[in-house]
Amino acid sequence: MSYVDFSSDAFIVAFFLYCFAFLFYVVTIAGKKWSNRDPEKHEKRWSRISFVTSTLGLIAHLTFFFTRWFGSGQIPTSNMYEFITFLGMAIMIAFTVVYAIYRKPLLGMFSLPLVVLVIAYASVFPQEVQPLIPALSSIWLKVHVTTAALGEAFFAVGFAAGMMYLIRVVDFKQTSKEARRDQFWVEFSLYTIVLVIGFIAVVFIFRGAGYEATFNQEKVTIDSKGVDHSSEDTTKYTLPPIVKPYNSQAVEMDSFLGMDKPLFEAPSWMNGINAGRKLNTVIWSVIAGSILYGIIRLLFRKRIGAVIHPLMGDIDPEDLDEISYRAIAIGFPIFTLGALIFAMIWANIAWGRFWGWDPKEVWALISWLYYSAYLHFRLSRGWQGKRSSWLAVIGFVVILFTLVGVNLVIAGLHSYAGV
Amino acid sequence: MLALHNTKCECGHQNAVGTVLCESCGKPLMEDMENDAPLEMRYDGVARRSQKSNPNPIDKIWNFFSSVKIAVYLIVITLVTAMFGTIYPQEGSFLNNFKPSVYYEETYGLPGKLYYKLGLSHTYDSWWFITLLVMIGTSLVICSLDRVLPLYRALSKQQIRKHLRFITRQKTVYAGQVEGNTDEWVKEFSVHLKKKGYKIHTDGSALLAEKNRFSRWGPYINHIGLILFLLAILGRSLPGWQMDSYVNIPDGDTVPIEGTNYYVKNEKFTVEYYKDEELPPELQGTIRAKKYETNAILYKCTDNCGDDATGEPVLQQVKQQEIEVNHPLKHDGLKLYQFDYDVTPKLKSVSPMLVNKETGESYGPFELPMKDAPLDYTLGPYKMKLAANYMEFGIGEDGEPVTLSRDPNAPAFIFLITGPGLPEKGQPYIYFPMQKDKEKFDQDKLNASIADKLEIKVDGMDNVHFAEASTYLNVRKDKALTYVWYGAAISMLGLLLGSYWQHRRIWLRIDDGRLSLGAHTNKNWYGMRADVAYALRKSGIAVEPKSLDNGGNNA
Repeated sequence: MSYVDFSSDAFIVAFFLYCFAFLFYVVTIAGKKWSNRDPEKHEKRWSRISFVTSTLGLIAHLTFFFTRWFGSGQIPTSNMYEFITFLGMAIMIAFTVVYAIYRKPLLGMFSLPLVVLVIAYASVFPQEVQPLIPALSSIWLKVHVTTAALGEAFFAVGFAAGMMYLIRVVDFKQTSKEARRDQFWVEFSLYTIVLVIGFIAVVFIFRGAGYEATFNQEKVTIDSKGVDHSSEDTTKYTLPPIVKPYNSQAVEMDSFLGMDKPLFEAPSWMNGINAGRKLNTVIWSVIAGSILYGIIRLLFRKRIGAVIHPLMGDIDPEDLDEISYRAIAIGFPIFTLGALIFAMIWANIAWGRFWGWDPKEVWALISWLYYSAYLHFRLSRGWQGKRSSWLAVIGFVVILFTLVGVNLVIAGLHSYAGV
Repeated sequence: MLALHNTKCECGHQNAVGTVLCESCGKPLMEDMENDAPLEMRYDGVARRSQKSNPNPIDKIWNFFSSVKIAVYLIVITLVTAMFGTIYPQEGSFLNNFKPSVYYEETYGLPGKLYYKLGLSHTYDSWWFITLLVMIGTSLVICSLDRVLPLYRALSKQQIRKHLRFITRQKTVYAGQVEGNTDEWVKEFSVHLKKKGYKIHTDGSALLAEKNRFSRWGPYINHIGLILFLLAILGRSLPGWQMDSYVNIPDGDTVPIEGTNYYVKNEKFTVEYYKDEELPPELQGTIRAKKYETNAILYKCTDNCGDDATGEPVLQQVKQQEIEVNHPLKHDGLKLYQFDYDVTPKLKSVSPMLVNKETGESYGPFELPMKDAPLDYTLGPYKMKLAANYMEFGIGEDGEPVTLSRDPNAPAFIFLITGPGLPEKGQPYIYFPMQKDKEKFDQDKLNASIADKLEIKVDGMDNVHFAEASTYLNVRKDKALTYVWYGAAISMLGLLLGSYWQHRRIWLRIDDGRLSLGAHTNKNWYGMRADVAYALRKSGIAVEPKSLDNGGNNA
């Protein structure tokens, strides 16, 4: 058995341990209200069980990381799959650090599903070890990527705590205008998370079924000398094509529920063949996520926020506010070092300029400016609590866009990390 | 309004206008006496410079930039505008032959046109973006100066015995009875605080414990670093501070580096590709570069340098090195980076013969390089003068010959030939070294009557020389770089000091056996409460850390 195969097994072990740890944290919190037990003893006992499980998961994850590194001869942070799994591991490290300070099992109930979601998302991307292009083989790559991801992981924990704060303080029974607005946005955030679950589910369902469709797009361009070139692009869909790329022909297409041709064509302004595929994926995610959300609503007969809110009755919102702030304050210097300073050093060595306004660089700067604005807002009166939690939630969206969105939407020097 | 306020505290200390808490005893000066909410402890309640009465115009500018609110707005505006710059590629990301006025509209349609017209296609060097950066820099300087000086003053002369209201209105508080000798109790209490790293100052039954004051300077050190960083970036626009250009060198060629006194030669460019077995299945059969490098020689020009020099430049070798990605050639602040390469072979030179078609006699061969070809040739009885040459021959819109690029893709030479049987002033002859161009442009027809008498032709491929590859090097010079790194390092140091340590202070006084304790930190109240609860527990008072919380915000 090769090291890379062994590492894949360790990864699966980590994944399941995380899932169990999540369940255990839920038991820790929800079980306090069960009859026949002393709430304090229950919490003490179960938070230990949960923390041991999640730490074992982290150890398995670290095993995956180092055996894959050893087996492939390069640090596993060089494609989307490896980077996102690393991010998941970094979030676990950040969670473990913050947990060690505050010992609030509730934090596990929110951080672990985040980690599970992140590494499930990673598995959507191709998992093979890919060779590096020369620009990437430098010690600074390792340092830059790992440090930046660790900083982002603390922001993720800040996000989890901020989300908890909001669910804790937003009362789902009130009907005032302000309460309704808060309820809507909390529920919207949760719905967005369900969409991500929907995306992952849909990808795996159709991958399991081996679905495939292929499209050809002919593109005619006229160059400066007036000569027209036509080129053909091919793209492979792994989800049934609701939308096909603009001006394209199906080469082959498996039939799905009697659907044997695409329903729509992508609009012409969606340049390139992959834009159509991405739009199709987004549509599928929305459909699957909405169905999933509908099922949850039918099961509980109330909003998701209203389901979770009562679980958190005896949690002090001020603690959550403080944890969220602390996590971000701990992450900020790490992020500055990894995502900006180390990145500049590496860029200077590799391309001879420390800054080039490449979209990924700009978005790292935007994230940094965003969190520095957050830290300054905290100094002002009235920017603690709810507002600050919203900022932490939005900040994580900015981070996710920087990490994933830029690769998928905007192309640049970092596009080799895309799929 | 402020001027009317009596700024003398009951303890006798004369405070500056705008002071919130007396600089000496800490008594709240500006609030309603009945208010019990935790105090506003920012900057220890000192008056900032910007809180002057009767501000003059300069004060008003100072006041504007000294506001944290304005600073946050500036940050937010900058980050939003920076977002716009990433919607489409910036102009700077394209190399040669790029016409932004056409490109954006052609590629992205109307939105692209608007993007270009609004100047967003060069967001980051636009005047308004630079203005924003300058304003952030100004705000950094003024915000810091406005606060750090009064804060330094206040922290370096702290009074131990604080006003009771100052203590009871802290965010972390404890009140209770103490039995026995109060001075002894304070002494014991301070021992436990010492273990936690506090510096203790006592005044009878009053105590001030303080630790990590240096962390208060963290944000200001960070700001100094950022200011240096911004100045360094602005400094790059000074003449001679920065250079960023590209050179394209075919194998074996030597080219001058414009703007410097150096020449660089591409001795040999090599590229190595991944073998199929090194690639995962889905990438097999594709070409992926594994390593590429240029064996380069850097020369310094010692004589006949520059464009207006008459003779051949005299070159002196300074350095030879393999340049590859991540390993630039460095010399005297000049850096040459491997940027790109082109492996389509380029015609470098030919060695043709001049053939007299009537007699069959041939003269030559003579060396004809594509670049910088000599002007005069003597071949037997014939003399040739190079009248014009084209690297990529084409016919312009006005019917005149033009060159379409500077790469030898379709080279053409026009010679003026004199000799036996030719007019005295010479007869023009156009020569295409490449067979495909000869046919495409119909060389014989262009040459008309002279085509029957003479022909320039190459005898066999041995007389054709190609450069197999050409390398693209990025030439850089950046004097600001040193300051950029210093700025980043200082800023990082400040961030670490400010984030991972917190300035914690505990005030305590015992009046008639009644203990009043207040504590303040600039961050991490959880840790603050834990410290207080620890020392109290060790001194025989068991409290839950959370019960010390007096409400208020976690700033």
